Amino acid sequence: MAEDALETRGRQVTRSNLARSEQFNGWAFVMPALVLLGIFMVYPILWSLWMSFQVGRGMNFSFGGLANIIRLTQDPVFLRALSNTMLFLAVQVPIMLILALLCASALNDSKLWGRGFFRTAIFLPCVTSLVAYAVVFKSMFAQDGILNQMLMGLNFISGPIPWFSDPFWAKAVIISAITWRWTGYNMIFYLAAMQNIDRSIYEAARIDGVPAWARFWYITVPMLKPVILFTTVISTIGTLQLFDEPNLLTQGGPSDSTLTLSMYIYNLSFRFMPSFGYAATVSYVIVVLVGILSFLQFLAARDRRR
Amino acid sequence: MSSVKLRGVRKSFGSVEVIKGVDLDIDSKEFVVFVGPSGCGKTTLLRMIAGLEGITTGDLEIGDARMNEVDPSKRGIAMVFQSYALYPHMTVRENMGFALRFARVPKDEIARQVEGAARILALEPLLNRFPKELSGGQRQRVAIGRAIVRQPEVFLFDEPLSNLDAELRVHMRIEIARLHKELKTTIVYVTHDQVEAMTLADKIVVLRDGIIEQVGRPLDLYDDPANQFVAGFIGSPKMNFLSAQVKEVGSGGVTIGLVNEGDASLRMPVAPNGTKVGDTVTLGIRPEHFGDAGQGGADLTVAVDVAEHLGSTSYIYANTTSSEQIIIEREESRSEIGMDQVTVSISAEKAFLFDQNGVRLR
Repeated sequence: MAEDALETRGRQVTRSNLARSEQFNGWAFVMPALVLLGIFMVYPILWSLWMSFQVGRGMNFSFGGLANIIRLTQDPVFLRALSNTMLFLAVQVPIMLILALLCASALNDSKLWGRGFFRTAIFLPCVTSLVAYAVVFKSMFAQDGILNQMLMGLNFISGPIPWFSDPFWAKAVIISAITWRWTGYNMIFYLAAMQNIDRSIYEAARIDGVPAWARFWYITVPMLKPVILFTTVISTIGTLQLFDEPNLLTQGGPSDSTLTLSMYIYNLSFRFMPSFGYAATVSYVIVVLVGILSFLQFLAARDRRR
Repeated sequence: MSSVKLRGVRKSFGSVEVIKGVDLDIDSKEFVVFVGPSGCGKTTLLRMIAGLEGITTGDLEIGDARMNEVDPSKRGIAMVFQSYALYPHMTVRENMGFALRFARVPKDEIARQVEGAARILALEPLLNRFPKELSGGQRQRVAIGRAIVRQPEVFLFDEPLSNLDAELRVHMRIEIARLHKELKTTIVYVTHDQVEAMTLADKIVVLRDGIIEQVGRPLDLYDDPANQFVAGFIGSPKMNFLSAQVKEVGSGGVTIGLVNEGDASLRMPVAPNGTKVGDTVTLGIRPEHFGDAGQGGADLTVAVDVAEHLGSTSYIYANTTSSEQIIIEREESRSEIGMDQVTVSISAEKAFLFDQNGVRLR
């Protein structure tokens, strides 16, 4: 009996030693990543939250309570940047996602000639160099650029369109640039999801006399719903953080008509007299917007029948 | 209800010809089963009738109208797929009524037809469920229901039972047979399972490598196979094939000797059809047609490998002296339990003879 008890205890000790060593090893493996994430993500997030309640210029700041939030409501440039960003979001994301869905649907046809080429061509923009493509876009949309020349040559317009100096056209250039860059990226998600749909479902629909548009609308779209939700959320987040295209193509101009929230944060921190506290407040506006919009999108996509 | 006619139908994918000239008449209200090993072209042939695959050459008629270029939805057919092909985001009711929405059928009429089909298939309690909430057999019934509501001239079934477990398969087989009686439509049914073919069909079409080997009523194929392939394919367990040599060719038939079986010889009442003395031929005999020793034309002693005793029937798996495996079926057999050797007899009336090319000598 006593021996048995001893043995049991011995086994328990071994087991607890084993468990402890597993715990230790586990933590040792994730620690480097956790430390880096902590230093470069968690700490800045918390620090910026604290900063967003600070007022002052440069490195001289003091606690200001809600002063930054009050400043937001009275800041015409912020309101301009916010309305520009929301406009980009409302116009660009739907156009891009519908385009991506149509491209994916067309390129999913196994009988389409050269579909490998088209898939690559449409996907390529999102892996090209940002600066290189900005240079090309700038030259294409210049006053005497290829686009104006072509449109005039085809007699669509009588004089050149001021792409970068007109607020409306500047926005249009930004929207077409982002759409060009990210449509292929979203298309890949749709293509992957479409390839998981059983082909015989479409064949059954064809035999049942369901027209092509209805097969797309009543079969493809509902079956892609989870992927559509995912791409909507990531595109929304991406557009709310829009910085590259306005910065490289228009620098926010003309007269702030393509200024986005991210550009404004950059300007507040690094271009004007540094105002880190206020810049942090503006970045939390993006966080709140992302939270609200994602929540609304999940709500809209929820299947009410289940 | 419509008849289906195939005239010189061929199909190629690139340079590969998969259907090599098929002529077939399917009568109105007939239940026809395409059967054959995988890769024989039976599903392709069905898909050609459905219009999901084009016809390279030849003619397809449904109800006396040429259908080669007609859209699948206008051929008066409905198809049930192996994977069921249900719309996963629609309820059973919506799945069944979906096609009718596009045929401009009024809403209350759709509801009436869906409920009618649901009654036939005992699906009424499941109408508001989604496919993922159904069992395999229920999904299959929904797929059939979706076909029924369209009131087609011809039903096409593509291996509808192969995703079901054995018990359910038997159950659904009976359901489909009952459905055919009730609906009285033309049915073309594809399967690789010869038991399904035997039990369901009015007419079986045996296919191999894109050509029809034989067409006939199930028992005609069993009793009177045209060649060694059909003889081996129809019947369960499979027919036994034993190598034999022609010993004598006379006016009353051919006398053969089984290879390595000493004196065992059998006089088959068939026309020689070009076979000469010394030719190698194949003797075919079904497991259920072996007789007791001394009862037939020749006796065969075999070494028992494994014996399965199922009560009413026993299957004895045995090897001949020349290591050919055979199966012997015995009814109500108790005496052979535990035996190492069994002697059975082969009678010429029950056996078949095939020449070197597998063609039956009659």
